[in-house]
Amino acid sequence: MSSQRIDIDDSFADEVATAALIVTCGPGGVGKTTTAAALGVAAARAGRRVVVVTVDPARRLADALGLAPGEASDEPHRVTGLPGIDADKASGELWALMLDAASTFDRLVHEQTANVKQAEAILQNPVYRAISGSLSGAQEYMAIERLHQLHTSGEWDLVIVDTPPSRHAIDLLEAPDRLIGFLSHPVYRTLTVGQRAFAKVTNAAASMFLWAVRRLAGPQIVEDTIEFFRSLANIEPGLRKRAGEVSVLLRSETATFVVVSSPRAEAIGEAEHLIGALRDGDFPFAGVVVNLIHPMPIELAPADRAALADIGDGPLADHLAWHDELIELARAERDEIAVLEDLAEDVAVVELPLMSVDVHDVAGLVGLADRLVGGN
Amino acid sequence: MVDDWLMSTRVAVVAGKGGVGSSTVAAAYALAAAREGADVLFVAVDGRPGMGPLLGGRELDHTDRILRRIKGAGQVRGRTIPADQAFGDYLELKGVGGMLRRAASAASLPMIAAATPGLEHLLVLGKVKELDRDSAADLIIVDAPPAGHAAPFLRSASGLSDVVQSGPVREQAVEVDAMLRDPARCRAMIVTLPEETPITEAVELANELSGDIGMSLMPLVVNACWPERPGLARTPAMAARSQKVILSATAKAALASSSDFGRERLDRQHHQIDRLAATLVRPMVTLPRLPTPRLTLHHLGVLADALVGPLIEPGSP
Repeated sequence: MSSQRIDIDDSFADEVATAALIVTCGPGGVGKTTTAAALGVAAARAGRRVVVVTVDPARRLADALGLAPGEASDEPHRVTGLPGIDADKASGELWALMLDAASTFDRLVHEQTANVKQAEAILQNPVYRAISGSLSGAQEYMAIERLHQLHTSGEWDLVIVDTPPSRHAIDLLEAPDRLIGFLSHPVYRTLTVGQRAFAKVTNAAASMFLWAVRRLAGPQIVEDTIEFFRSLANIEPGLRKRAGEVSVLLRSETATFVVVSSPRAEAIGEAEHLIGALRDGDFPFAGVVVNLIHPMPIELAPADRAALADIGDGPLADHLAWHDELIELARAERDEIAVLEDLAEDVAVVELPLMSVDVHDVAGLVGLADRLVGGN
Repeated sequence: MVDDWLMSTRVAVVAGKGGVGSSTVAAAYALAAAREGADVLFVAVDGRPGMGPLLGGRELDHTDRILRRIKGAGQVRGRTIPADQAFGDYLELKGVGGMLRRAASAASLPMIAAATPGLEHLLVLGKVKELDRDSAADLIIVDAPPAGHAAPFLRSASGLSDVVQSGPVREQAVEVDAMLRDPARCRAMIVTLPEETPITEAVELANELSGDIGMSLMPLVVNACWPERPGLARTPAMAARSQKVILSATAKAALASSSDFGRERLDRQHHQIDRLAATLVRPMVTLPRLPTPRLTLHHLGVLADALVGPLIEPGSP
């Protein structure tokens, strides 16, 4: 750990004890979901009622959280078997759910429409069915939407959201703005001014748009498209308001972001980019978790090394070669991490070793949780 | 001579979950093929520019540029395919007149893409298909989107056919679908790590790609394998005894501090590779884990060498 960091509390103990929202983000394959779950365990052990929203968790982690893949698990589900927590007493609770972008979108439509008929008009539309899970940024937006739903329900002390794996993790932060941008598009506006005005569309851009869709994708999709945009108009003010609320919520004092990385150069590059974007966007930033760090062996003393200079072939040569390689790798990783520590400035940096096995049970998560809140 | 499988197709789609190093493997593949004389085009689908410098050239953008010439052999070129540019190219290709092009650009790609699910992916794959049709290179290596996105990316063609029943988008979907299903034109290379979760996910990806998407698979690539050090099976003390060497207590402790970790990692690696071989009965190739968190062109060469190394055939011990 670099010397400037001596006075910094490298722990997320305060965040898990006080924040109402924690968002974990970072590149794929660095253990983001596991970190989110471990923060949840730490919060539950601190006596809080916490729900962890996961996106596409690996099978073993899903098993550990009691989330069966393929089953409808969009609703929170209590995680059992957490040591130190008594299910009968008023103590902390850990719940988990797996994000389902399409059903979150459905729920949003129901919430924002005046009646069931209006909602069904949207939900049954083939274009809606096709895009609700795949609209550019939809998954990112829905992760945030779910966070908002859970937060405002008042049922939870803390909501932790793991973000979708994304090359440009920043997509998540821009998702509400992107949705607003979409709804503000002149073509969308013209298409949604209402049935009567629509019947005599004179707007060149909109009619050209429809013509283009007809020519490119065939005539039958045009009717569905018009219908979709028109029914979406009913919920547009609600969507817009919600996007605004989410944007405010993510910047409030109750929320905080944790960036997860590994010591690999490309992961650190993405983490740097993300930290910059969080700071530029005035998002509260709790710190960085550097995961999957190789252990630093005890280095051979010069005298011992000299004694091993001529051991020739044999098992000891394997030991020596391995020893040198691991030290080389462990050192280089620590150099990479130093860059991230400097960049983190005054926020926490928690460094986690490469685990000897995948975390696949609650006990493994507890071990990780202790490290995340343990501090120096 | 490059192993036949490396040059067995004209478009190779390299895919794997986030963090397994599929982009690096795609770059090593490009280098291996160029060393054998091929003119290779490396295509980064999601616009990530970083593989350009790793291959010895500039950051990638939408311009096709030479990244590296191999003396007396082939070369590696590189580019990205942004969806909006693919859209413009596509309109032009389809002989769409100025009127429609203006209409389409007035509506902007995001609007049309919203109305036509999977369109952006299809446009990018359509562009790859055109590059192949124009014989843009001996081998086109597509660095597919990472994480959970590779299967939706490749499924865009068959998925769109369900929604769109006529028009040029449909034609494009049918043509891309035909390319993906033709092993002489296109195959998928799945990259994984010798660890539990990546292997489980690679098996799922292999089933998806070879299932309804109908792609042929190249040998599986198990990336970042620890080097075999059979001596680690014994403790340093036992190893010393077998070699009749006397180790000090401090030397024993130092060596044990690294070998305990290594022994456990190697055991796990063997177990996971066996599991992969038993689950997906397909040939595979292993690439070494390099002792660095920051790869250079030199490391890429080591990976390229390993890629042309012997295949592990299913059923072999």
